[in-house]
Amino acid sequence: MADITKGTKRLSGEAEGSQDSKRVKTNGDKMDAKNPYLAHLEEKPEADFESLLDKLERRNTTAKQAEAVEDSDINPWTGQRHSERYFKILKARRKLPVNKQRQEFLDLYHNNQILVFVGETGSGKTTQIPQYVLYDELPHQTGKLIACTQPRRVAAMSVAQRVADELDVKLGEEVGYSIRFENKTSSKTLLKYMTDGQLLREAMHDRDMSRYSCIILDEAHERTLATDILMALLKQLSERRKDLKIIVMSATLDAQKFQSYFFNAPLLAVPGRTHPVEIFYTPEAERDYVEAAIRTVLQIHACEPEGDILLFLTGEEEIEDACRRISLEVDEMIRESDAGPMSVYPLYGTLPPHQQQRIFEKAPQPFRPGGRPGRKCIVATNIAETSLTIDGIVYVVDPGFSKQKIYNPRTRVESLLVSPISKASAQQRAGRAGRTRPGKCFRLYTEEAFKKELIEQTYPEILRSNLSNTVLELKKLGVEDLVHFDLMDPPAPETMMRALEELNYLACLDDDGELTPLGNLASEFPLDPALAVMLISSPEFYCSNEILSITSLLSVPQIWVRPANARKRADEMKAQFAHPDGDHLTLLNAYHAYKGAEARGEDMKKWCHEHFLSYRHLSSADNVRAQLKKIMETHGIELVSTPFHDKNYYTNIRRALLAGFFMQVAMRESSNSKVYKTVKDEQLVLIHPSTTVTTPYEWVVYNEFVLTTKQYVRTVTNIRPEWLLEIAPVYYDLSTFQKGEIKNALTRVAEKIRRQQAMKASKA
Amino acid sequence: MSFKLPTKSLQNNGAAIEEEEEDYMTMTFDDDATGSYGGTRKHETSLQRHARLRREAEARARPKSKAELEAEAEAKREAALSRSLLEANPKSKGLAMMAKMGFTGGALGRRSGDNGSEGKEIIPEPLKIEIKDGREGIGLESERKRKLREAAEAAGERAKKARADEGEYRERMRREREEARLEKLVTAAQKVAERMAEEEEDKKMVCDEAKKTTSGHRPLLKTIPVVWRGLVKAREEAERDRKMRYDLEQGLLASRLPTYEDSEEEDDDKTALSKIQTTYVFADDLDEEDPELEEFNALSPDEKLRRVVLYLRENYNYCFWCKYRYPDTEMEGCPGLMEEDHE
Repeated sequence: MADITKGTKRLSGEAEGSQDSKRVKTNGDKMDAKNPYLAHLEEKPEADFESLLDKLERRNTTAKQAEAVEDSDINPWTGQRHSERYFKILKARRKLPVNKQRQEFLDLYHNNQILVFVGETGSGKTTQIPQYVLYDELPHQTGKLIACTQPRRVAAMSVAQRVADELDVKLGEEVGYSIRFENKTSSKTLLKYMTDGQLLREAMHDRDMSRYSCIILDEAHERTLATDILMALLKQLSERRKDLKIIVMSATLDAQKFQSYFFNAPLLAVPGRTHPVEIFYTPEAERDYVEAAIRTVLQIHACEPEGDILLFLTGEEEIEDACRRISLEVDEMIRESDAGPMSVYPLYGTLPPHQQQRIFEKAPQPFRPGGRPGRKCIVATNIAETSLTIDGIVYVVDPGFSKQKIYNPRTRVESLLVSPISKASAQQRAGRAGRTRPGKCFRLYTEEAFKKELIEQTYPEILRSNLSNTVLELKKLGVEDLVHFDLMDPPAPETMMRALEELNYLACLDDDGELTPLGNLASEFPLDPALAVMLISSPEFYCSNEILSITSLLSVPQIWVRPANARKRADEMKAQFAHPDGDHLTLLNAYHAYKGAEARGEDMKKWCHEHFLSYRHLSSADNVRAQLKKIMETHGIELVSTPFHDKNYYTNIRRALLAGFFMQVAMRESSNSKVYKTVKDEQLVLIHPSTTVTTPYEWVVYNEFVLTTKQYVRTVTNIRPEWLLEIAPVYYDLSTFQKGEIKNALTRVAEKIRRQQAMKASKA
Repeated sequence: MSFKLPTKSLQNNGAAIEEEEEDYMTMTFDDDATGSYGGTRKHETSLQRHARLRREAEARARPKSKAELEAEAEAKREAALSRSLLEANPKSKGLAMMAKMGFTGGALGRRSGDNGSEGKEIIPEPLKIEIKDGREGIGLESERKRKLREAAEAAGERAKKARADEGEYRERMRREREEARLEKLVTAAQKVAERMAEEEEDKKMVCDEAKKTTSGHRPLLKTIPVVWRGLVKAREEAERDRKMRYDLEQGLLASRLPTYEDSEEEDDDKTALSKIQTTYVFADDLDEEDPELEEFNALSPDEKLRRVVLYLRENYNYCFWCKYRYPDTEMEGCPGLMEEDHE
């Protein structure tokens, strides 16, 4: 009763003053408490801290009750006193738009198993909703956790940190996170942020997700592959586990699709904290969107009042180029027309974190008081669309393109192509201008083009991806009938067919579509099936240590650094590591050099910088290697090496590559050509210019087949055609090949092998 | 012997040519010939095979240009991308597995409620790969296409309209031709009138020398009868323009050169060096307004013609159509004023 009156007062805001004075007192106590000699004082409140939560009835709490607990001096989860910072954050949290609907949320949560929650960016849903659930689920009573998924690793980590701060707990204890190759949770963990892929991996071993009492799928509108699979799994699971609560959170207002998919689940919408954004279109289509974008930025700088600019472009090179040109033009504007200063920052995924942080720096001051405003201009990829929030943006320039992944099973090409964005994306981009005050969005296309050319929603990732990994995961998850698996947007049958076929060739699925022991083992690795199979088979080739290193290096972003202003030197450095037989071996050389330098105790950051290698990605590869090694050890996969001085050291590695990548082989078209033809799909490709291979080998195995404006194979290594027939006889059954040079060449090889065998036999 | 040999070889040649021609025909029209060269090819002589193999080897050996390679790669890609795997690869094990799971050819996903609709489902295709090269903004391509389409439509419309009004078109063309013809006749008649007038003049002033010297100068425009005043005016204007152009060119040329003022220079020298601008004196009535002439010019060509012809008849007893100057005003023998009368 006392609690309730206290709560009412607080809600009406009358108690502000007294609360503050009380807090000051509390803080005084807290300061004393920090003194280790007074540590015994902390013990006192602990005696009754649990009673705070004991008063609450699980899945029947009210917002007032929860707020009362939050307002108390004692942290109900740790028994410690709340810090000064906690109350400061709490004050800010109470102002979030989502806070007004806490009771409404709880009512819906109590009465429904599945709930769709829509909150625009800035509503506070990602940090607050899981905490509201925490105070209602009371996981310490049931031992069941709350999971909140994020599409991106960085988001999972940073949100977990934020929420740990908000709850005044240590990250990794009551609040933790789990991402691929990194788990920061403990037995104390009650609320777990994780990538959607990670939850999917967990579900492989715990099909009922029995560790969780509530699963929150955040950023569901992004429709990542893992989120789509999770939604389908949770939909099934919701029938089996009636006690499991599911919340689907989305930032866009197309929630109807989610509602109807989840048995017409109720919807709760929270308005974001946004200001109106005025949208401008160009009167005519642009001939060069980069040029138009730069022009628009300069025009804003010249004519518009104070406020920062966010320009969306597609990729690293384009962004760096635009940044350079904008800076140059602004310098000229300053000299010639008394313009204000402008700092220009690039922002893209592969930018090192400390450089990404620079976007949060304050805009420069005008040159003199009352002078033309200074501002910052951020030139970003679509990571600035949803995942990163930058305050102070008032102007958005949107050329309407982004790089999007696309996969086509017909040629098995996977590419990042510059494509027009969707209407939903365009709205999201425009919304970025209204975070702090009313803003303007300049779309570099006509209104008609917006209406007619842009698709409504970006295609979900499941329609744009190779599904072999997904199919393997689904098999492991116990989904028998893949054809009728109830996905929100089922992929094309051809994509499924290709995935099944590939897994069959990799011997992960038998002809009936059942998981083989190899497939079962492969699914244990958080890797693509081809990589997993290569790794599992590597002991047969006496080089599992080396293949493990190569696999790790292929699982992280490019380790080679090639800055625009030092390309030549970077290439020279790379050439030092070059192995004549192939890029896989060059990677391995670089890794060995890295480990060698590390063993010598060198300053690794410096060493990497000098050798134009990415310290971040190499150390991350090292971490991945350790994780994969653990999995190998768990499953008894031997770690062996051929002695380095053995003449077969590199040959063994090259052969081992084929054990996983025999479907990714290309033959040179003719003796004087640079063009290669991929096996079976018969696509004409060039070797990517980043290669260190200089000899035009007849046969190569490649890691990726990508399409930019040309078709390239990237990361290639020389192989011998005999190995293909020996290592992958099923795939290289020549009767399945279509007529042509590749078949002819392989037939000749097969005959040669037969002759040699016959000779051997006759000798014996 | 020496006589026969050439004939024989000639005959042989003839036979060879005949044979070649025959084979050429069969090669072109025989379907087998277009099949794979690994297959049996009827009627291929060793020479031809040799030539073909050499041609093929050459084609293989010749390094392809970048553009050719790109086109080839793109063609291969497009060919592969446009063919459904379900059709291209019906024996695929992947497809067999799917069939075991109950795939019958429709879309994947949850079984739709009733079986009736399932058969009609469209099979979703993989997303299309569209490569964007260049930095064209959104909508530019379609804007261009739209403009092309609009242009094509407009052209089509014009053509349609033209077809619909074909009769009218013919009529207009005929009328235009007729008008052009009449204008020519007007000019011709005007020339006749002018000549007649000059002849009259000459006759009158045959002995007056003083007047004859000035006869080079035409009289004031306004004194010329309106029926051919236009002719004179047009001629004078053309002449003046020509002269002005000439002066301009000369002047420009002169002014571009450095000039040297020499007081000793003779007038003739100056003229030769075009230092003295030759000015041509025209009757400055050329630019004067002439409502009478304007009125005449505004008439339709047949009316203009009628008036000139009438003028000739009345003043000189000349029939433009008979091309004859009758001795008296009766003009006996002339069928009449109009052209039709003379047909």
